[in-house]
Amino acid sequence: MKKINYPVVEETLYQETLDNGLRVTLLPKPDFHKTYSLFTTEYGSIDNKFIPINQKEYCQVPDGIAHFLEHKMFEKEDGDVFHIFGKQGASANAYTSFTRTSYLFSTTDQVVQNLETLLDFVQEPYFTEETVEKEKGIIAQEIQMYQDDPNWRLFFGILNNLYPNHPLHVDIAGTVESIQEITAKDLYTCYETFYHPSNMNLFIVGNIEPNAIMKVIKDNQLKKEFEPSAPIKRDLPSGTEPGIIKESSLTMPISKPKAVLGIKGVTPLPTTEKEQLIYKTAASLLFQLLFGSTSQNQLSMYNEGLIDDSFSYEFNLERDFYFADISTDTKEPERFVKTIEDILLTAKTSPDVTDERLALLKKRLLGKHLQSLNSLEYIANQFSQLTFETVTLFDLTEIIAQIQLADIYQVVDTFFLAENFSHFFMYPEEVKE
Amino acid sequence: MSISLVPGVDLHVIPTTKYKTIKLYIRFAETLSKETISQRTLLSNLLETNSLNYSTQADISKKLADMYGASFGFQVSKKGDSHYLTLVLNIVNEKFLPHHENILAEAIDFIKEVLFYPNRSEAAFDLETFEREKTNLIEYIESIYDDKQSEAALKLQDLYFQDNDQQTPSFGTIKDLEKVTANSLSAYYDWMLANNAVDILVIGDVDEEELLSLVKILPFEPRTSPFSPGFYHQPARQNLLEKKEQQPVVQSKLNLGFRTGIYYHETDYFPLQVFNGLFGGFPHSKLFMNVREKESMAYYTSSSIDTFRGYLTVQTGIEGKNKERVLELIQEQLESLKHGDITDEELLQTKEMLRTHYILSLDNGSALLEKSYLMSKYPKACLSDEEWLACLNQVTVEDIKRVANQVTLEAVYFLEGSLSYEED
Repeated sequence: MKKINYPVVEETLYQETLDNGLRVTLLPKPDFHKTYSLFTTEYGSIDNKFIPINQKEYCQVPDGIAHFLEHKMFEKEDGDVFHIFGKQGASANAYTSFTRTSYLFSTTDQVVQNLETLLDFVQEPYFTEETVEKEKGIIAQEIQMYQDDPNWRLFFGILNNLYPNHPLHVDIAGTVESIQEITAKDLYTCYETFYHPSNMNLFIVGNIEPNAIMKVIKDNQLKKEFEPSAPIKRDLPSGTEPGIIKESSLTMPISKPKAVLGIKGVTPLPTTEKEQLIYKTAASLLFQLLFGSTSQNQLSMYNEGLIDDSFSYEFNLERDFYFADISTDTKEPERFVKTIEDILLTAKTSPDVTDERLALLKKRLLGKHLQSLNSLEYIANQFSQLTFETVTLFDLTEIIAQIQLADIYQVVDTFFLAENFSHFFMYPEEVKE
Repeated sequence: MSISLVPGVDLHVIPTTKYKTIKLYIRFAETLSKETISQRTLLSNLLETNSLNYSTQADISKKLADMYGASFGFQVSKKGDSHYLTLVLNIVNEKFLPHHENILAEAIDFIKEVLFYPNRSEAAFDLETFEREKTNLIEYIESIYDDKQSEAALKLQDLYFQDNDQQTPSFGTIKDLEKVTANSLSAYYDWMLANNAVDILVIGDVDEEELLSLVKILPFEPRTSPFSPGFYHQPARQNLLEKKEQQPVVQSKLNLGFRTGIYYHETDYFPLQVFNGLFGGFPHSKLFMNVREKESMAYYTSSSIDTFRGYLTVQTGIEGKNKERVLELIQEQLESLKHGDITDEELLQTKEMLRTHYILSLDNGSALLEKSYLMSKYPKACLSDEEWLACLNQVTVEDIKRVANQVTLEAVYFLEGSLSYEED
């Protein structure tokens, strides 16, 4: 077990990759009562075409299956896993994203027992045709609930424009129709392929003694047999392949129109994790320079009534794709996206993008980063997204300090390309065209 | 530690080395009143937008960025008979900063500026800011009703409570907001600053003496008869109230309002906690297990309690055609608790979850500040952790039956979705 000290943030990490390929990271927080544990597989909603383990041919599975599988993991022959965690004083949960599925518990005692439960329930699947059929109703309800959420629809509206030929545009839960096709056999196929320990990582933060906990994990894993690990072959379009829908719209029962401008990244990303983290941090600083609460741009748009407090922007980077979306509720959706485009295309000469402002926003980012380290959940979620071969969350203080205006310009040059901008609008139903 | 700065203005400090930050609340409390709720919400928006010497929100943001991304804002909320307007500030502890800058003193100076020197001249708030924030707030309130889960909860509250003040959402109403002017709000601000009960609460690795000397620069005047928070009691209704509305959404919402008559740290407070956990508070609860899991009748279903108003609600997201069946199922779950149909395992598990939630809250800075505030206002809440856990542990099935028999359904609100998924 490797021990790594981070004196600047007063943290110590423990890491080891087990013989079966499972990567384990431990972060003791002796002042806390809580222990939070996150067990993650690199398998998400976009992984819908792949070669199943021990087979030769690609197979295509129904949309929404990763999320469906996550739901079904909790049901076992002898009952509901939530129940077991509950009895052990823990609360459990799970979530599925585009590229990952995570299972977690948080507890204040019986850490060992809860940890064994977590490892065992995720590593011992139980699916039957009957329980799969029953779940379809529940998930259909969940999909319908998302369908009623205007901001969710807005997000997938712009994703559909940016990634018309990539499974990113499909709702993580799939559609009411696609989930009807899911069978227990499909679930086993996905499970066997993607839940191999070598495709997973375990992160535990909280009131733990690292040596004792590592022993528990190793003993637990030694009792189980796994196939030899092999790289997973996915068949996915490249996440940076050009080609977008320039504009589309939708009507919904909302009070004020919504507009979003999306930017698709088409320049291939740097290959090392550290370079990607630098790119991500620079992009995040760039958006704060241009659109953040200290920017002249945001102030002018706000004062003109073009945006309101719903204005938001985010930059996403995962695996081989990256995109940004900038959105607001506004009475002038067309003018909003035009204004944003002008700002993006003149970014390098913007009075908001200067050395002085970059220094201020680096200070801000550093402070926000340190503040977020109060949250064990935040730490765990961030760690589950990195492979740590070259870099960890605790290196971020150093990376923020390094970023120069040149890094910012590089993001402008590689990312702000007009042909990759798309618009999506949502109008109240009264003004239906 | 609690110290009175001047009559009606108290400082509470919780020193701890657990966090990388220092968190500070300044809470203004007064009697909940429909007349002032909307004014307070608008005021909180104005005060966080700009001030006399930070004349734009970008100036405020720059100052916050310069204090290493300090977070600052106002929150409005209500509890029982009280309305709170709370300034919240969170800064990084200087020991983690590259040059160990003393940003705590800087932050208190900043608070003094934004709280005591707002952007107004003569006796009116800056008109441009005022009009813009008013318009934005009206639109924000409209957007809250875009979220049907929130809308259903607010409509149920409106139906259940008889009193206008209690019916009003914590952020106010558009109608009341429309009546507020830059002059009337300025007068209200002066009144609030001089008369509301004020509590300053701080948690983090701080020196109490240093903090005391720092907050003394805030020019609070003594209050003659500061407000003291309490409960809200409503007489029982004789008949069940029902209301149904239709909207063009897919999922229907069925929300139920019950009277409990049980209050924060008063008789049966702990049995009520356990009752709620068994009824719909947790994933192993009767509502979740039977309505959602066993019958697949709802995407979500849960219950929650408001012990400052003796109120309990059940919220569900369902298919409209199942309304009667869901209503029946919810009542069956309550009946089974009235009969004490509770296994040892269920009871143990519920207590275990409540215990865990309590201990988890001890890790959360905001929760600790809130707890310290409530203890100072509701002395019966002053239990040590051991005492609190012992009270929980003592709850018996008989206690839960007694509580269940006291819980009475008084209002049913149904928001029926008129769309089906296929048509959408």
